Amino acid sequence: MRVILALWGLQVVWLIWHFGPEAGRLARRVAQREAGVAIRQENPLFRWAGALQAVIPKHATYVFLDDYAAGKEIQVRYFLAPRRHLLMSPQVPASFLFYTLHQTDASFLLMRKTAQPPGPGVQAARHCPAFQPLHLPGPGRAFRVNARLLHWGFYD
Amino acid sequence: MIDAVITLTRLILGLSAVFFLGYAGLTRFIPRPRDFAGGERAAFSFGVGALVITFWMLALTWWRVTFSLGWILGPPMALAVVLLLAPRGRVALSEDLRRFHFSPFAELQGWDWLFLGLLGAMFLYVLLRAVLYPMWAWDAVATWGCKARIFYTSRSLDLTCIDAHNYYPNFIPLLLSYLYFCLGRVNDAVAKAVFPLFGGLLLTLLYSLGRRLGLRRSQALGLTAFLALNGTVFIVHLYIAYADLPLAFFTLGGAGLLYLWLAEAAPRGSLTLAACCLAGMAWCKYEGPPLAATLILAAALTLGWLRAAGWLRRLGYLAVPLGGLMVGYLPWRFFTVQQKIDIGADHIQSFYPHQLVQAICYLVQGLAEPFYFGFLWPALALALIFSGRRLWRSPRLFLALFVVGNLAAILLAYAVAPTSAAEFPAYVRATLDRLLLHLTPVAALILALGLKDLGAETVST
Repeated sequence: MRVILALWGLQVVWLIWHFGPEAGRLARRVAQREAGVAIRQENPLFRWAGALQAVIPKHATYVFLDDYAAGKEIQVRYFLAPRRHLLMSPQVPASFLFYTLHQTDASFLLMRKTAQPPGPGVQAARHCPAFQPLHLPGPGRAFRVNARLLHWGFYD
Repeated sequence: MIDAVITLTRLILGLSAVFFLGYAGLTRFIPRPRDFAGGERAAFSFGVGALVITFWMLALTWWRVTFSLGWILGPPMALAVVLLLAPRGRVALSEDLRRFHFSPFAELQGWDWLFLGLLGAMFLYVLLRAVLYPMWAWDAVATWGCKARIFYTSRSLDLTCIDAHNYYPNFIPLLLSYLYFCLGRVNDAVAKAVFPLFGGLLLTLLYSLGRRLGLRRSQALGLTAFLALNGTVFIVHLYIAYADLPLAFFTLGGAGLLYLWLAEAAPRGSLTLAACCLAGMAWCKYEGPPLAATLILAAALTLGWLRAAGWLRRLGYLAVPLGGLMVGYLPWRFFTVQQKIDIGADHIQSFYPHQLVQAICYLVQGLAEPFYFGFLWPALALALIFSGRRLWRSPRLFLALFVVGNLAAILLAYAVAPTSAAEFPAYVRATLDRLLLHLTPVAALILALGLKDLGAETVST
């Protein structure tokens, strides 16, 4: 019993050490009255999503090219809800990307800026008149899509 | 500044309405609510109130009524007032008003102050962490929070624009969206205050159950601090807006009340309240119904093993918590069938023995590594070992069967999970701590019994 209590006591000290830095940051934020939206705005991804929110109508559909495991698409989706979204791989072939955009009547195509070279779908989109780039500052790229201009055919 | 005060007032009013609905419900479900301690009634009031509001929102969806604060709160509040004006409600209310006294710090001594101080410091941290920061954790953003946001903006339980595990039960998203209606806008930081509240009520319930099991005040407070301040998982779940903490809350309520009933030490109405807790488990999370079913199974096995007088008749009484489980499970199940929402059959496909072996290693690591749950699980192992024959000859067998059975169930779940070999370690890392969190309050109840034994042995020697 005493051993368990002693170990627990040590463990409580470790917890204080573990959460200490975050508690310090919290105290600073309380002193500076930073909360909620102000903290969210520190994240460039959310600033970008905020800019997109003003551009993408609530009833529009957008396609986001990203890896789910990166966890960025879910953050943008959270911010852009209730806009309908579709997640596709950044390496999606052009034919499947264009088919999806046409079939779902998606009007925006979003992707994150990454160190990896753009996939075939993105490369094709850059040279297709149906995609109009939106110049929004942030860690991602966005295109307005005119799905009616996407002609049927092979793009790969 | 004024905006902050208004927001806080709206939040407090919204949460108070949940307590009020539950309080009125308790006067209907329980013959004499004062048989339960004040902390227990507060905890169960909030749990029951939250269930009433969220199920009512599901019913509104069924009837295609657009969500609004008037529709969400109006009819349940009217019903609550009727219940409190009924004879039973009037008696309970007048008794409470007559005997109300709130002096939590009276007669506190040495260790009590230390334990309360630790808990107070922790709650100050988690409350600030919850309400200052917006939602950021994975499932909070991807599933629970996203749905809550959509339910609020679309004024309905609308799942057409997302595909975020749509078959998951919606207790948390609906509760959060209710708070958004109270706040008048989506404020995910402030609404997260409900999670420290759930944690506080869970610990209050554990303290009260500890006292019922025969612990002294300092022992019960120590046990509560031991659960809360053991590893990082419990603390982090107090502010990340996951469904696991509310599930742990309902699990503790259900297990604690069923244990008291098996030990013939339960106040009247405990089985009905346990049924409410099991309904909460089923409505809280996809893992809830099997977890609740194992509570009933463990209770039935314990009755069958101990064969105390009237055990067959008591076996029949388990239909009450079983009914609660059905009440919590079926409405959402019917809704998913009606809306043609795909159920996640992806969880079970085949049995993978190599995953079972890996899962055993990860489970042992998860139980033993202090980073997750501190020394809670080693202490539980010691408590079970030192229980000796009492484990087999008393209702504590129920608690042990539930915990050990669910540890085995976790292994089985990993053995049938359809993940690739590369993904499996990450899959286990992302889920194991949460699955164990559901069981930790029940593990703490076993520790409470061990502490009681220790006290009794000290006195007898």
